[in-house]
Amino acid sequence: MIEAKNISKMFDDSAALTDVSINVKKGSIYGLVGSNGAGKTTLLKILAGVYRQDQGEVLIDNQKVFENIEIKSKTVFIPDSLYFFSQYTVKDMAIFYQRIYANWNEERYQILKNAFQLDEHKKIQQMSKGMQRQAAFWLALSITPDFLILDEPLDGLDPIMRQKVRNLIIQDTAEREMTVLISSHNLRELEDLCDNIGILHQGRLIVEKELDDLKSDIHKIQAAFQGDQPKKIFQNKNVLYHEKRGSVRLFIIRGKKEEIIQEVSQYQPLVLDILPLTLEEIFIYEMGGIGYEIKNIVI
Amino acid sequence: MFELDLRSRKPIYEQLVEKLKVLIISEVLKTDEQLPSVRVLSTQLTINPNTIQKAYRELERQGYIYSLPGKGNFVARVTRDGNTERLAKLREELVKILSEAIYLGMKKEDIIKIISEVDVMVRGGEK
Repeated sequence: MIEAKNISKMFDDSAALTDVSINVKKGSIYGLVGSNGAGKTTLLKILAGVYRQDQGEVLIDNQKVFENIEIKSKTVFIPDSLYFFSQYTVKDMAIFYQRIYANWNEERYQILKNAFQLDEHKKIQQMSKGMQRQAAFWLALSITPDFLILDEPLDGLDPIMRQKVRNLIIQDTAEREMTVLISSHNLRELEDLCDNIGILHQGRLIVEKELDDLKSDIHKIQAAFQGDQPKKIFQNKNVLYHEKRGSVRLFIIRGKKEEIIQEVSQYQPLVLDILPLTLEEIFIYEMGGIGYEIKNIVI
Repeated sequence: MFELDLRSRKPIYEQLVEKLKVLIISEVLKTDEQLPSVRVLSTQLTINPNTIQKAYRELERQGYIYSLPGKGNFVARVTRDGNTERLAKLREELVKILSEAIYLGMKKEDIIKIISEVDVMVRGGEK
């Protein structure tokens, strides 16, 4: 379990994180999303024990993380910008990690060699961006970590590699109950991978929920009515967004699907469509609700 | 065993529940047959194991499967004439389609003719 309790972090005068608490259950894949500069990377670095928080507590397996060798030897963090020693090949890195991580699995390293098809004797820094990412995953998964923390992990990988890496992560989660925390801007990608989602904005956590709950709680409704639109409709509901497109009305509403259908049916709509929202849409409307929204700028 | 539509808006866990229900009702999965383990299915479909676990729990709650601790999940004895839910849905869809057809000028006789044709096709013309 990865737990952060009321974390705050300042860099000089600016607050990067304010009172953030998150909870990643064992064996879960947790997706951390957020606006640019929301503090995702800072949070991940604190959880991985790279930065120390100013306030609050970070626990992995109920132990403090910072400078805790036991926890760190079970945790792998793949940062946004990768770091390898200069002149090192994948093999050299493997030998280095083997000495540091007690759970290094040589057998796995050999099996994964086939999955990634990289030349282990090539200098990593001479590899392309995508290949360097592959090397990072190859090494990370050979360590067989209990906790895997990934910052924008699939950036720069081709579609086949993405699928392969996702599959490898899922296998480890299913078989060894590895706990995974992923930050990404690619919400489509998180949608099939994660079971829990946290949304960060300006250093605060604004939503933390199971993905399925998040999705079943919010709906997109398109309806058209005979004559004028009934004025009283959805007065008692939490309407996040409302728009007229010709004679069709679009609503984004929070609430139970059955209740919404019941209410609309009273007004005998000519057209009624209820769609679940994609994670991307949820993100956009949640952000809109706190004043960070899409405004098309006309130049 | 089956494919999921990852681009659909429908939550994956709901899709899983529906697909498995269809397989059970249509007896592709027989009573007491073991379902693939969470681990196997999640790797096969590249789906989060917790999502699959959740779908299995939901199917168990609805009485489609039962679980034996340490052994896995198995298909429960389902009353196969329990297609009530699906029938209600089909009825709803039929009403929708027929309304449109009538609105666009299709005659009642034409619709009845189509119904008898389909009936002949499906039942092989027995009278």
